[in-house]
Amino acid sequence: MLKKKGWFTLLSLVLMVSVVLTGCGGKNNASSGGNSGSKATANAGSKDSKETKNLTFMFRGGTDEQKAYEGVVKKYEADHPNVKVKMVVTAADQYATKLKASITGNSVPDVFYFESGDLKAYVNSGVLLDLTSYVEKNPNIDLNNIWKYGVDLYRYDGTMAGQGNLYGMPKDVGPFALGYNKAMFEAAGIPLPDKDKPYTWDEFIKVAQQLTIDKDGDGKLDQFGAGFNVQWALPSFVWSNGADWLDATKTKVTIDDPKFIEALQFFTDMQLKYGITPSTEQAQTLDTYQRWMKGEMAFFPVGPWDMSTYEKLPFDYDLIPYPAGSTGKSATWTGSLGIGASAKTKHPDEAVDLINYLTASKEGMEALVKAKVQIPNLMDMAKEWAADTTTKPANKEEFLQVVNEYGRVLPGHYTYNAEWYNLFYTDIQPVLDGKVTPEEYVKAEQPKMQKLLDKAVEQEAKSKK
Amino acid sequence: MNAKLGLYRKEKIYGFLFILPPLLGLLIFTLYPMIYSIYGSFTDWDGLGQMNFIGLGNFTDLWSDELFHKALFNTLFMMLGIPIGITLALLLALGLNRGVPGTTAFRVIYYVPVISSLAAVSIMWNWAYNGDYGLVNQFLDLFGISGPNWMANKYTVKPALIIMAVWKGLGYTMLLYLAALQSVSRSYYEAAELDGANGFQSFWHITWPMVRPVTFFIIVTNIIGGSQIFTEMNIMTPTGGPEYASASVVFYIWQKAFGNFQMGYASAMAVFLGVFIFVVTLIQFRMNEKQSFDVD
Repeated sequence: MLKKKGWFTLLSLVLMVSVVLTGCGGKNNASSGGNSGSKATANAGSKDSKETKNLTFMFRGGTDEQKAYEGVVKKYEADHPNVKVKMVVTAADQYATKLKASITGNSVPDVFYFESGDLKAYVNSGVLLDLTSYVEKNPNIDLNNIWKYGVDLYRYDGTMAGQGNLYGMPKDVGPFALGYNKAMFEAAGIPLPDKDKPYTWDEFIKVAQQLTIDKDGDGKLDQFGAGFNVQWALPSFVWSNGADWLDATKTKVTIDDPKFIEALQFFTDMQLKYGITPSTEQAQTLDTYQRWMKGEMAFFPVGPWDMSTYEKLPFDYDLIPYPAGSTGKSATWTGSLGIGASAKTKHPDEAVDLINYLTASKEGMEALVKAKVQIPNLMDMAKEWAADTTTKPANKEEFLQVVNEYGRVLPGHYTYNAEWYNLFYTDIQPVLDGKVTPEEYVKAEQPKMQKLLDKAVEQEAKSKK
Repeated sequence: MNAKLGLYRKEKIYGFLFILPPLLGLLIFTLYPMIYSIYGSFTDWDGLGQMNFIGLGNFTDLWSDELFHKALFNTLFMMLGIPIGITLALLLALGLNRGVPGTTAFRVIYYVPVISSLAAVSIMWNWAYNGDYGLVNQFLDLFGISGPNWMANKYTVKPALIIMAVWKGLGYTMLLYLAALQSVSRSYYEAAELDGANGFQSFWHITWPMVRPVTFFIIVTNIIGGSQIFTEMNIMTPTGGPEYASASVVFYIWQKAFGNFQMGYASAMAVFLGVFIFVVTLIQFRMNEKQSFDVD
């Protein structure tokens, strides 16, 4: 008996200890994702007179994307025989944890992806290398030929993001355009939407209602007008109605603006009043995504990263601008992911060189675009790419218009952390279910979000010391 | 005499040498981070830069943090799966202990979930719980019940996770019980039978007390494991579920630490959780001491 008990105690102690670890346990992992790049291994290609320089490149992405990037890095190594790149890749949802753990553990990879929203924190704490001088002195890089939207996301002057020195290059820009199922329009005998003139909200509802059908008469809808995930689609409706989550100073939460309420009302009405989208219970991304791919959905947001997947769809789809609210203009979210270098890298020249190869070189871009995982970063190449209407979607031009004209960054990007912004979506379900009115919701939620935003502002001030 | 002592001492040194590697590992990878995180819990550390001491600030913040309360409630709620799992496992073990044909096959079947990766299991159940195409709802459909979209409904998401956790842990618990049952000597039952005890009486007065150490072990480890539940919700409800209904304490710690640059605050929660588990475990040991008795 006693013997057994001692065993229990030991076991529970070990388990307990591991609990406390959970909070910062990532540190241990850091050594595995580590900085082996900076340790120069004994001349691997000994015939080469130059010393081999090792870089670690940490990135993330879906399978198609991983393959594409691995291919490009191999090509880079072939062109630069004195540089060896060790690739560390994770699934998208584990990436942030792994990166932050390696930063905490002081073993930052030489070259790595990072979210534009984390820029301030990383610059303030000296994690990111200032790329400005490297990029400016490089004759092969023409910043004017890369999307200004994308480049500016990685500028920071110590107070405002969007201006000042450059701490990263956009891996790509991800314009989230609106797609529609062309075959469905043809089957229903509805004229195809205009690719340059957005629907008004009313028009959009009308068309979508015509396309919401119970085909086999079993009382269940088999075809829906649209499918919108609140987190990724609501910003489009809010912005095009002239409202936003933040004021111009980025210190005040403005969701109680009547224009905001109107947009949120419209968003919930699509389901609750007009019934053009699957019910909220069914509207998780996965389901709407599947419905779209099965050809059961008329309108669905399309990002360039899905082009390779949608290529194989049995129906034809194309891109149009989002329906426009009271401003009369479309708006949507444009994502981006930056590639930066560690401020402590032993080979800054090579690290920046690799970044440039992946983001700004013709060779690198061509390979990535060919894999159909992104739109070209280089504007002249993008124009050429968009002009080719033989591949799906025909109106690729829309992607470029999003980037140049009506794409925006999510509000969380402007603040030290996005906790305040995320809370909006954490609590939103009752609104989507019609249990709480949009007006009640924003009134109750604004102070909570403001409190978190104040905290983030305070944190930012502290981090600059 | 002298030689004997020398040998003894030599063995002692070898012994220490053998346990040195794991001991060093424990010190470097467990004790050091643990102390570091306790220290961190008293700072406003963002995980990147300076650590400023702020006393008990993080802990007082916990009192008014609604999301933390939700996460704590969720974590405790999901422990309802523990008694369910224990009951089911014991019933299964009793069944298998009777030597039904194919016992080995059943053992394997029940044990397969245990050795499967939790991430894979989570992904699989996520499909099963899908409101439209999921196996669970298709099954319910056979009886004319139209099931909810389990993971998207704040009332069903926790039960859904509990069911999955019970299913996952069943084989392990069952196997422990089976081993315990098989070590109970037949003679006790024979004696009880002579005294005219019925099936339930011999279970209640012999089997249940005899497997008590195993029950105790299972409860303690399950509560500790249950307090740290994380992977399931991270994969199945990556935003914490509808209205944060499926976020656990560890999930919230992870969000704060790696999503929001609040490593200090996250450490405070980890310390809180550590103390909580320590206290609960201590209480259980005390209770077990009081209740334990020996079969003479």
